[in-house]
Amino acid sequence: MKGEVGLTGLNHCLSDYKDCWAHVDINSYFATLIQQENPALRGQPVGIVKESGRTCIIAASKEAKLLGVSTGSRKDEALLLAPNIRLIPAQFDFYLDATRRLKRLFESLSPEVQIFSLDEAFINLTSCKYLYRDTHTFGTLVQTKIKQELGEWVTANVGISWNRFLAKIAGETGPKGSITSINQENLDYKLATTKFTDVSGVGYRLEKRLKAIGIENLYQIKLFSNQELEKHLGPFWSKQLRKMSFGEEPNLFEHIDSNPHMKSVGRSITGYKLCNNETEIKQILYNLVLETASKARSMGLAGRQISVYLSGEGRYWFSHVTLPSYVNQNKEVFELVYHYLYKKWQRSFLVIKFGVRLSLLKPETQINQPLWPTWHKQRYLEKAVDELAQKYGLFTVRPASLLNGQLIRPEVTGFLGDKSFQLGS
Amino acid sequence: MYQTIGEEIQVAGLFKKGRFWPSKFKWSGQTFNIQKITLTAEANNGGVKLRYYSVLASGNLYRLQYNRQFETWRLMEIWCEG
Repeated sequence: MKGEVGLTGLNHCLSDYKDCWAHVDINSYFATLIQQENPALRGQPVGIVKESGRTCIIAASKEAKLLGVSTGSRKDEALLLAPNIRLIPAQFDFYLDATRRLKRLFESLSPEVQIFSLDEAFINLTSCKYLYRDTHTFGTLVQTKIKQELGEWVTANVGISWNRFLAKIAGETGPKGSITSINQENLDYKLATTKFTDVSGVGYRLEKRLKAIGIENLYQIKLFSNQELEKHLGPFWSKQLRKMSFGEEPNLFEHIDSNPHMKSVGRSITGYKLCNNETEIKQILYNLVLETASKARSMGLAGRQISVYLSGEGRYWFSHVTLPSYVNQNKEVFELVYHYLYKKWQRSFLVIKFGVRLSLLKPETQINQPLWPTWHKQRYLEKAVDELAQKYGLFTVRPASLLNGQLIRPEVTGFLGDKSFQLGS
Repeated sequence: MYQTIGEEIQVAGLFKKGRFWPSKFKWSGQTFNIQKITLTAEANNGGVKLRYYSVLASGNLYRLQYNRQFETWRLMEIWCEG
C-alpha cells in the first residue's frame, strides 16, 4: 500500500518491511522546550546559552535557525543575523526529565527502544509492525503522543526504514515536524540527495576528504572501486562508507545499546574568563573530581586511568596517569589530579577550560579492596558524605576548600554519553 | 529574561489522576491564580527529589519548585519582559 503524504515522501505499509525501525528526533529540543514552557517566546528566535552571561549559543530555536543562527554561534554573530534574538539559559533538568518521559512513552509503543541522544531515539517496530497500519499512522501517533506528554509546541521528525541508519537519514532530511520513510523505491534517491552533514558518523573532516575525491553524496560511493576508496580513505572508512552507500548500517550503530558499563566518567567546564589564580584552579579541579568520583561510585565503578585537561589562549595541556590499582575515592583521585598531574604543568597559559576524567573503569565487585585501615576509614567517610547528599542534597557537606566560590553542579550533555547512568538503562 | 527569586510560597491545588496540580499560589501576601501549567519536570538534587511547575498566572510565567523530601514550595524564577 502506498500514497503520498504531504511533501515528506511515500507512505509505506509497515508490514512490507522485514525489519522496521523508527527514528524520532525532537525539533530544536532545548529551545522548543523553553518555548513550550514560556508562550512569550513562541514564534520568536531564541538562542539557548549554558548559563546567564554566556555568549556561546548551544541550541537555536526553529525561528532562529531560519535566520541563519546555528549551534555554536557566538552572541555577536547571532545578533547580526537575528537582532531580536532572545538568549535564554538552558534548563538541563527539564531536558533530562523530558527525555526520561519520552523514553517511557516510546516504550509504551514498542518493547525495544534505544535512546541515541538527549533528543533522539530509535524504536524497533519489527515485532509490533502489525499494530500500526503504515508509516504515516505510526508517525502521527508518535507526534500526537509527544504533544500530549510535553506540550502542544513540541514537534518531532519521524523517520522510518528497515534499519536505524536509514531511519535516521529519513528523520534528519525531512522538514520540521515531518514523517518520512525510506524503502527500496526511494532508497537511491535519498542516498543521492542527502548531504553528508545529515549522515550519522560522517564528520566534517571525512566529508572534506570525500569531497576532495569528488564524492558529494552516499550514492556516488557506489561508483568507486574498493581499491580506490581504500587508497584515499583507508581500510576502515572505505568499508564503512561502502556499507552506507548500500543503505546498510555502519559499525557505529552496533554500540548504541551494547555497553555493559561505562568505560570512563569525566567532567569539563568552560569558565567565564581566563584564570591564573592558583586557589581558583585548585577549587575547580577539586569540584570536577568530586563529581567524577561520585558518579563512578554511584555506578559501583572504579578506574585506574586519571587524566586532566586544561586549555586557554588557543593552547592546551593534557596529562594522564595509568595506575596498577583502581580508585574512585575523592581524596585519592584529587591527589593524583592535582598533586601528581597538574603540579607538573609549567603554567604556560591562562586557563578557561578544565577537564578531569577517570577511565579504564571496572565494577567494584571485580576489584580487590586494599587492606589498609586508612583506606577503609576514608571510604566510610565518603560513603557517609554520599548518604548525606542523598538525603539533604548535593554539597550539603563539602570540603572546606569549596566553601567559597561558585559550585559546579552536575549537568547533562546533549549527546547523553552517560545515558546508562542518567536513564538507568 | 528570568529573574531569580528563590522565596518560599504557599500553594493550593488539586490531585488529579494521582498527581498534584497547583491551581493558585501566595507570594508576598498576594494570591496568584494559575491559568495554565505549561511544563512540569522532575529533578534530583543528590537524592532529594524536586518537581518543577512552570505556570502562567496574571499573564506572566512563574517557575515553582516543590521539594518532595521536605514538602516545601518555592518560587524560583519569574519571567520579566524587557
